[in-house]
Amino acid sequence: MKLAVFVSDYRNTVDTLERLDVEDLGIVFVQNGVNHAAVKENGEPSPLLQKKARLYALSEDLQTRGFTEADVDGRVKVIDMGELVDIIFNDYEKLAWL
Amino acid sequence: MADVKLAFIVQRPPYKSENPKLAITHAIAYQVVEILLEEGETVTPTLCFVGDGVLACIKDQKAMDNYGITSTETHLKNALLVDLNVLVCKEDLERFGISEERIIDAEEMGAEVKIQAVPFAEIQKTMESANHVLFF
Repeated sequence: MKLAVFVSDYRNTVDTLERLDVEDLGIVFVQNGVNHAAVKENGEPSPLLQKKARLYALSEDLQTRGFTEADVDGRVKVIDMGELVDIIFNDYEKLAWL
Repeated sequence: MADVKLAFIVQRPPYKSENPKLAITHAIAYQVVEILLEEGETVTPTLCFVGDGVLACIKDQKAMDNYGITSTETHLKNALLVDLNVLVCKEDLERFGISEERIIDAEEMGAEVKIQAVPFAEIQKTMESANHVLFF
């Protein structure tokens, strides 16, 4: 299964993602989910960034919260809405919103 | 003479819910409430950011550009303009690696007060001395 998962919360989504067994996983950080990409807690990046997945974060949600691309972990690709649409239509068969 | 102390505690990050903004607007509303009070009565609110709530205090929020809505930052600047006492938990700022330079201020708008980064113990004291504690 090719699955893109939208992570829109900062908490409570890690456990669910851990259980997913997916051949091609994309994690798209949107809304408050972008904190996973830009915030280190006690110096440690979010455990979601350890997942074997392609990682994306939506630029407008980062900017809204006062983050710049420089704040984002190097494993995460910052994308705009147009690129997100391309990812949804071209790269994944299914979508989930956590 | 009576002073009613209110502590507004923001513990959630901004934008996914309206909670942080509600806390700020409720705290600012103390000025309106005062016209309903008897002579000598006062209301003193303190706005405190703890846990994930400290993420609401990061400056340069582009909510108007991206969402077309007033940012939490603008709400906080308005709170500072009316001299509201605003505290942010120092330990939680450190936990998230947020330096005090990244914290919102309203100096350019003429505010005389700033958000104060304080140890949680001080926020705890604020809660203990408050007549009412409201969590958002």
